[in-house]
Amino acid sequence: MKLADLAQQRQDYSYAFLDAHAKRELRRRILKAIAIPGYQVPYASRELPIARGWGTGGLQVTLSLVGPESVVKVIDQGADDSVNAANLRRFITTMSGAKTTIDTLQATILQSRHRIPEEIMLEGQTLVLQVPDPEPLRGVTADMSKAHQLHADADYGQMWLLLYEQLVRYRQYIQGASYPSLVNGRYIISPSPIPRWDTPKLHQAAHLTLLSAGREKRLYAVPPYTNVYPLEFNDVPFQVEDQKGWVCKTTGVQNKFMNELPQEDGTSQYELSDSGYANKLADTAQSGATYYDDQGDFYHAGYLKPPVIPPI
Amino acid sequence: MYVAARGGEDAIQHAEQFYQAMLGKLTPEAIQLIQKQLPFLLDKVIGEGSLYSPELAALALAQTGGDVYEAVLLLRAYRSTQPRLAYAEPVTAGEVLTVRRISAAFKDIPGGQVLGPTLDYSHRLLRLDVLDGIREDDAPPAPQAENPAPPTYPVVADWQRSQGLLPALDADQTEPAAVPDVTTDVVLFPAPRAHRLQALARADTGGVLALGYASMRGYGLIHPTVNELRLGYAEVGLRHPVTGEVFSAGRVRVSQAEVISSGGDDGKSSFQLGFAATLGWNEVKLIAASTLDMEMNNREPHPAHEEEFVMYHTEPVESSGFCIHFKLPHYVTFASSMDSVRKVISTFYTNDTPPPQSNHENMQQVQP
Repeated sequence: MKLADLAQQRQDYSYAFLDAHAKRELRRRILKAIAIPGYQVPYASRELPIARGWGTGGLQVTLSLVGPESVVKVIDQGADDSVNAANLRRFITTMSGAKTTIDTLQATILQSRHRIPEEIMLEGQTLVLQVPDPEPLRGVTADMSKAHQLHADADYGQMWLLLYEQLVRYRQYIQGASYPSLVNGRYIISPSPIPRWDTPKLHQAAHLTLLSAGREKRLYAVPPYTNVYPLEFNDVPFQVEDQKGWVCKTTGVQNKFMNELPQEDGTSQYELSDSGYANKLADTAQSGATYYDDQGDFYHAGYLKPPVIPPI
Repeated sequence: MYVAARGGEDAIQHAEQFYQAMLGKLTPEAIQLIQKQLPFLLDKVIGEGSLYSPELAALALAQTGGDVYEAVLLLRAYRSTQPRLAYAEPVTAGEVLTVRRISAAFKDIPGGQVLGPTLDYSHRLLRLDVLDGIREDDAPPAPQAENPAPPTYPVVADWQRSQGLLPALDADQTEPAAVPDVTTDVVLFPAPRAHRLQALARADTGGVLALGYASMRGYGLIHPTVNELRLGYAEVGLRHPVTGEVFSAGRVRVSQAEVISSGGDDGKSSFQLGFAATLGWNEVKLIAASTLDMEMNNREPHPAHEEEFVMYHTEPVESSGFCIHFKLPHYVTFASSMDSVRKVISTFYTNDTPPPQSNHENMQQVQP
């Protein structure tokens, strides 16, 4: 009998990289986040072998949920083959042995930066969104402690003022991505820098959405079947990006979120941003149900309203 | 369905191979050389990485080609998964094996001013003769002292406390394992003092210097006087699990600074201290950090010297990581902004009155 036979085999890293204490902490924070929809739960946030600001928040959530039976999809800007998505996918699978997919509907965990896929996600699926800045009030107060107090008091007057000023100046809301939204009638969240096109997909979604900012050490959740409304005045409805008439150069599809590709002659071409969806159409010409139909109508009828330009 | 997204994976693998080829081969000898010849660079990485291992710090520097932020990230990512086997006893300044210890507040101090190894009073001239192959050991060594210097020195602030110039210190009885830990706790503000001092110990040298310098130059409320600056070796005291005796598990390079200023914020006519300490020897960081520590204690410091501001913005891994993340594609968010700009333009301008050339200016100035 040798000592080496008795000793545990050397293991350089824990399963799914995070040690048990870190995983336990994260899982508890996630449960709290689900219990208080939209509330930013502070967490310790471990350093990972990926640069901070490159998805370490989403990655910590994914690593604390993933198991060998998981099927993971990772996208960045909608694309599976983006270099950053590829890098995160490689890390998750190396550390966990999980399987990967590019099919939205096959994934048990879908980690994404800046997009929610076009196909309607299902019950039991988890969407993990990487968040650079979890604080929707950052624009009105840069100080996290003060913003925390404003959330506690549901003191969102400055956010409404911001929208009002936009209407006075521009006669429309000019917020691009990360459109501030009210969750479960209580907390305003930043839905992460997803385009406005994707924001409504959080409303009464069948899947669970976890949003996590590793650098800022905050995570929050939109549980399944929770109300999520973008901030809007009753008489000036929120608008998604207007891409009417944009046709995907590869699939011929319209009324899905497109990448605009500038051409040398000054014109633009368009392609589907959701590469997994594009692949599916190319392979089988079929897909699951989508949040927006071929006419561009959102699946919750009446949720999105036609534009109103307020009078001068 | 399993489909590998090969395009991206091939690209990142090739890019890393290219980088490794550029760096050349890593050898144990090269790493030992870094460890021996670049102690101050090593100490910077050790302090910011908050992991005392000169060997791993040298490896991290070699592996990243000397990119300090990347080296710090490597150490931090390694450290974050290591188990806590034991908690060391507190290090007290009076017991540190001190090689350098100076005070700017007094001409002489109990134990004396000890210059130790420093470049402070050297002429910053490039030693071009080294390039000609003249070896370093050709230069005569410093003469041997007649009496060896004592290994430990009293603490300057203790003298000031005995004079009633500084408030008495409450001895903190917290068990080492129970001290708040900025790496595993949730950080909220106002932060426990332990969090603040740990954050400063791990802080980016350049970041702390920028904010500290702003304070010193005039945005701060105080003029710091270096009460004591100390470089030395601390014993890592562990308690034996059976006997309960404290024994030394080894020595680590440590440094600490205390700056002093009149007018404590408690309204009494006494002095106040700012403190900072770190693993490794890093004088500029500690003088700046201890100044910031004192500044943060004051009521209503300059916004750039508030605790939350300082702690968030001097974090090397977070600040550098976020800065370089702007290299990542942002075309979806940019498309969303373009949509907003186009809608504004189409609302306010027709073919007869085209918009001005600069879209950005335009967004600020349009009048309905």
